[in-house]
Amino acid sequence: MRELLRRSLIPLLFTALVILALIAMLVDRRALDAGGRDHSWLSGFALEMAVPLQKMVAAPVDLVRDTWSGYIALVGLHEHNERLRAEIAALREENLQYREALVASGRLKRIAEMRRDLEVPMLPSEVVGRDVSPWFRSVLLDRGRGQGVLAGMPVITDGGLVGLVTATSPHAARGMLLLDRQSAVDGIVQRSRARGIVRGLGRDRLVFEFVVRGADVAVGDVVITSGLDGVYAKGLRIGEVIEVSEVGESDLLQTATLRPAVDFGRLEQVFVMLRRGPTMALLYGADGAVPEPGAAEAGAP
Amino acid sequence: MKQALGLLAAGTAVLAIQGVAGAVVPPPYFPDLRFLLIVGIGLCAPVATGLVIAAVIGYATDLLSGALLGQHALLALLVFAATRLADRSVNLRGDLARAIFAALLTLAHAAGLSALAWLFDSASAVVPALALPLLVHALLNGAAAPIVAAGVDRLSASLSDEDTVRRPLRLEPRRRVS
Repeated sequence: MRELLRRSLIPLLFTALVILALIAMLVDRRALDAGGRDHSWLSGFALEMAVPLQKMVAAPVDLVRDTWSGYIALVGLHEHNERLRAEIAALREENLQYREALVASGRLKRIAEMRRDLEVPMLPSEVVGRDVSPWFRSVLLDRGRGQGVLAGMPVITDGGLVGLVTATSPHAARGMLLLDRQSAVDGIVQRSRARGIVRGLGRDRLVFEFVVRGADVAVGDVVITSGLDGVYAKGLRIGEVIEVSEVGESDLLQTATLRPAVDFGRLEQVFVMLRRGPTMALLYGADGAVPEPGAAEAGAP
Repeated sequence: MKQALGLLAAGTAVLAIQGVAGAVVPPPYFPDLRFLLIVGIGLCAPVATGLVIAAVIGYATDLLSGALLGQHALLALLVFAATRLADRSVNLRGDLARAIFAALLTLAHAAGLSALAWLFDSASAVVPALALPLLVHALLNGAAAPIVAAGVDRLSASLSDEDTVRRPLRLEPRRRVS
């Protein structure tokens, strides 16, 4: 009997660990659907431990990169600067003309009032690490609940939409990128307003699918968020159409391939929009207001 | 105990390196050091210890990744078990054998991940869109496998409680007595 137990110890251990992993997956899946995953203490602990470690390991890489971009890669900067100055001057002139037109129509005051309500506070955050698995696309951010970041908040850069915060700890957060296979955004073509879903492929391209057959989608079109999914605000730039699939006679839908607006290979600094969309607020809780920094630690939702 | 802690520390370091490497090189075009570490542990660590360490590394990966908790842990256990069984059947002591095994296991690992994602996440399958990066990734893993396995072997031997110091046994030829 003892010999039998000794021999079966390893298979039993293996079976127990496998069953534990399966149960963990089921439980985590249910928690994700119920929106309760954000407050997992285990996830928070892992994020808190990972950020300082990642920063330490990334320090030499950042030093090399900063030296390169701060000194060696500055060739041609003067010409680039002059080009940008000219572009700014032209944009200022154009802006002035638009403002004049708005003032004349009496809408400027109303728009200024609307802006105060619609403006979303942004929190700058540094990307300190990437996903440790080669088949998932997420980033580690150095801002967390203590600074007002909550799961379900969009992450953007000046170039466009980056992704969504999926887990937080007091001083860190994890964000799922648009490129991730699990990512899905309701998007529209800026020019023709054709609507579809933008999904990640796990690589540096996105697919724009479930677009109605006759919808006007062409190479070069810019796709933006529609705001209809209740997750992302309207008007955030997602990407540009680089290929439109051929539609067969019996196809009801068409798809297109997008190049992301954001250069995910050079993602260093992002902004977290400190307001959840209505769908995310419903999933995680009714709190859509910006929490006070430190309110998370005081126990506020 | 020292061996187990050493391997866990190695797992932690590897996860940190993997997180930084993703910012420099697109992830499929860099060897999966975490995966290779588990293969290395499968080749040299005691079974019970190795199973637990593989599971811990897998869970840590899940917590730092976009995967469900338990997803990488389950695959880590299967990778460990596959390595162990393959070593018994085929003898994975040579570099070439390890390289080929790691490359093939990488493909199987990606298929397993895709299957789990389809079952639990309803996410789209990985394989069609990522076929070429997957092949490159498998080749890179194969190339790096002997190096990582040798490193794990040395670390494991240096931390093992057993007396692993081996001296060559010299047999002096019998001298003629004049």
